[in-house]
Amino acid sequence: MSAGAIEIKDLRVDYGDFVAVNDISLSVPYGEVFGLVGPNGAGKTSTFRVLATLMEPTYGEVSLAGIDILENTERAREVIGYMPDLAPVPSDLKLWEFLDFHADTHRLGNRKERRARVDECLDIVNLTEKENAWCKALSRGQTQRLVLAKTLMHRPSVMILDEPASGLDPLSRREMRHALQKLAKGGATVLVSSHILTELAEMCSSLCVMNEGNLLASGTAEEVRAKLGKKERSLRATFLAENEAVLRWLRTDSRISEIRADGPDVTFHFVGNDEEQVGFLRTLASGGFGLKAFEEEGSSFEDILVQVAEENRKS
Amino acid sequence: MSEEWQREKMVPFWKIWANPIVRRYARSRLRPVSLGGVLLVFVLIAAFIFFSIRQGAMGQGQLELMDAARLPIVPLLVLQGLILFMLGTGQVAGAMTAEADEGVLEYQRLAPMTPLTKVVGYLFGLPIREWVIFAATMPFSIFSMWQGKVPLGVFLEIYSVFIVAGVLYHLTGLLAGTVMKNRRWAFLGSMGLVFMLYTVLPQVAKFGLVYFKYFTILPVVEESFAYFVPRSGQMVIQTMQELVPTARFFGLNFPQVVFTLISQGILILAMSTMLWRRWRRNESHLLGKVGAVGLFAWVQLVILGNALPLIETGQLFPSREFGRRFGRFAGVDPANWQPEAWEIFMMIGIFGVVTLAMIWMMSFLIIPNEEGQVRGWRRVRKKGGSRLSILSDPATATPWVFLMVAIGSVGWFTFAKAIVGSRWFPEFQLSSMALLAIVMVLFTGGILVQTILETKGRKFTILAIILGGVLPLMLGMIAALTKDELLPAGVWLIGISPMSWAMYASQVVVPIDDMPADVIRGIPLAFWFWQGVAVLLSLWMLNLLRRTRKEIAEKTK
Repeated sequence: MSAGAIEIKDLRVDYGDFVAVNDISLSVPYGEVFGLVGPNGAGKTSTFRVLATLMEPTYGEVSLAGIDILENTERAREVIGYMPDLAPVPSDLKLWEFLDFHADTHRLGNRKERRARVDECLDIVNLTEKENAWCKALSRGQTQRLVLAKTLMHRPSVMILDEPASGLDPLSRREMRHALQKLAKGGATVLVSSHILTELAEMCSSLCVMNEGNLLASGTAEEVRAKLGKKERSLRATFLAENEAVLRWLRTDSRISEIRADGPDVTFHFVGNDEEQVGFLRTLASGGFGLKAFEEEGSSFEDILVQVAEENRKS
Repeated sequence: MSEEWQREKMVPFWKIWANPIVRRYARSRLRPVSLGGVLLVFVLIAAFIFFSIRQGAMGQGQLELMDAARLPIVPLLVLQGLILFMLGTGQVAGAMTAEADEGVLEYQRLAPMTPLTKVVGYLFGLPIREWVIFAATMPFSIFSMWQGKVPLGVFLEIYSVFIVAGVLYHLTGLLAGTVMKNRRWAFLGSMGLVFMLYTVLPQVAKFGLVYFKYFTILPVVEESFAYFVPRSGQMVIQTMQELVPTARFFGLNFPQVVFTLISQGILILAMSTMLWRRWRRNESHLLGKVGAVGLFAWVQLVILGNALPLIETGQLFPSREFGRRFGRFAGVDPANWQPEAWEIFMMIGIFGVVTLAMIWMMSFLIIPNEEGQVRGWRRVRKKGGSRLSILSDPATATPWVFLMVAIGSVGWFTFAKAIVGSRWFPEFQLSSMALLAIVMVLFTGGILVQTILETKGRKFTILAIILGGVLPLMLGMIAALTKDELLPAGVWLIGISPMSWAMYASQVVVPIDDMPADVIRGIPLAFWFWQGVAVLLSLWMLNLLRRTRKEIAEKTK
């Protein structure tokens, strides 16, 4: 079962009658930044808490870097770096003390060696200047960065980050994205959740979508988009000039809807498979409408998530 | 392979100085700026106690240095108790709750340390400032004992028990902080518990429950008290020491210090187990089924072991101490003291009340909630099983309550038999229904609370206790106290409450006539009637529990 960095088999988490995670199985290879996407209540945090060894599942098997986390919890904790959502920090410690404590719990050498690692991690998250500040005095974004530094402290091979970018300004987000990608290149596996989905798509080499405790799809961003995107394709055609004739022609086709014209650009929804779309385009191009360009607009991740959330509400 | 790895990497629990959690709190709680002020205040108080008492005794009191130097020892112990027991325990409970509340506790959960190392880390880390302040006051105690020529053995006895008691109370605070959600309540509750240990429990000891006194340092202090007063106070000491029962455990006579350390050590072990279970798995019950019954049996054994040897000497009976202390004023001759008949009723009743309360307490610890049962069943089914292990947390507590009822019945009956068979009460005999009454009270009281808890949950149980336990007791007492005509009604009303059953059973076990006629007539009738109702209710509840558990099991299929 331990082929990938993260291996989940038949994982289930119940809260009484409520099924938070419903028999999911997942495999994440080493060195990947893997995103977990889903609306509130999808089961992301429960999954993360099980992976982080903070919660025992109802049942299921989970191994991280080849270690069965339910059998070898303490050992698994050596390889896990967990950053919770709205990461808290203690109010009675300074930044370097907070990090040094975590270095100590992971037995990262003597005082001098620990201090060197603390400085290194503070540098990664750009908080070196604040090393003697109290943790409680940090802004939200700085706190997130500090907790990321804590998460990196023991050089974990599997990092589990729950909404790490929340509260960060755009620059910090970009820095975090680069830092995570750099870590992944160094061999670490990063599992990350976020509501900023476009960013997640940019950051992650692959991802999965969860809803109501179930895994809906997983794969690369394109694969997930293809699987979960709307069945209707949004198409855009650009003509040489405004063309009333093409609009009339489009209205006669029952597969076409939502026609919008903006000068020479016309967008519309088309229902049909790939072959039908090829046939439709051939007709459009040969119909003498002056077709200049043609583009298929994929479903955005926001669209996908909104769609999933709406389906939730309806059910 | 993994175990070898753990041995190499992890800090063993006994290496307190290398424990990262201890070091973390040493850093945050021993900062010179914040520690300095507090330390100065307590050292000044200790210095004031030491010098004012010692100098005053030598100057105004005209005592020799050796006698004067002994006088600050007890006040210093009180100050140290305040620091370590009260402030330390409150700090542990409050800080633990705050850590959980702020969410930083999860970081420690994630630390690759064994659960026991984490427990030890918090136990000695959170109150580290109080330990340091305590240590700073020690030179005054050491100097007093040295100048007062107190033997080294006495010093070691006192402070070994003092430190073990400190650890015990801090563990209590840690447990309160782990279980309670509200920081203020955890802080106040745990301090209140320590306060109760030194005020209420010594009084309980006068009613035969001597064991609870060994949760304090009082027996050891009382035993060594001769060294803490001037030599001229020998008479007072002798009188006091006669009042102090030795630590008798069945036929064995332990030194107070040994029995105190054993009693506190067992409790430390039990609490450490509870915390270990919680750190190992957050969803765990505080005690396993076997652990809870084992602790119940141990407490029964020591209560009984302490009480039985005091029956023949008469030290068990409250009136003896009252006669010794206030005999002259009350017109009682201590030399011709004889226990009163009502003391049989009282002592047997109190033993039953404590036994039933212990069953309730243990039930609260081991009863599974619905969520736990659902998870347990799904886990079992996934593995292809069809039964929950009887020892697992999701399993029903019923068989274990039955076991506690059996153990408690044996203990309670033995106690009642020993009192009635003693030389003090030749005119009394155990009723032929004694054993039945005892078993019924523990069975109905234990099973009713357990089954209600398991089928309806904690909130409903608390409501049931208020409506079915407290309210009839209050109404009955009001009725009984209003006028004589309402006394029978009061007896019947009080009899509804399970809290009264053990006291009523006492009158059934050994009928005494030292009470108003209405009460003597009413108690047995009310007892058997309400016990009949309670047995039917218990059987109905057992059936309901069986059905409820079956439904839960079915829905997980």
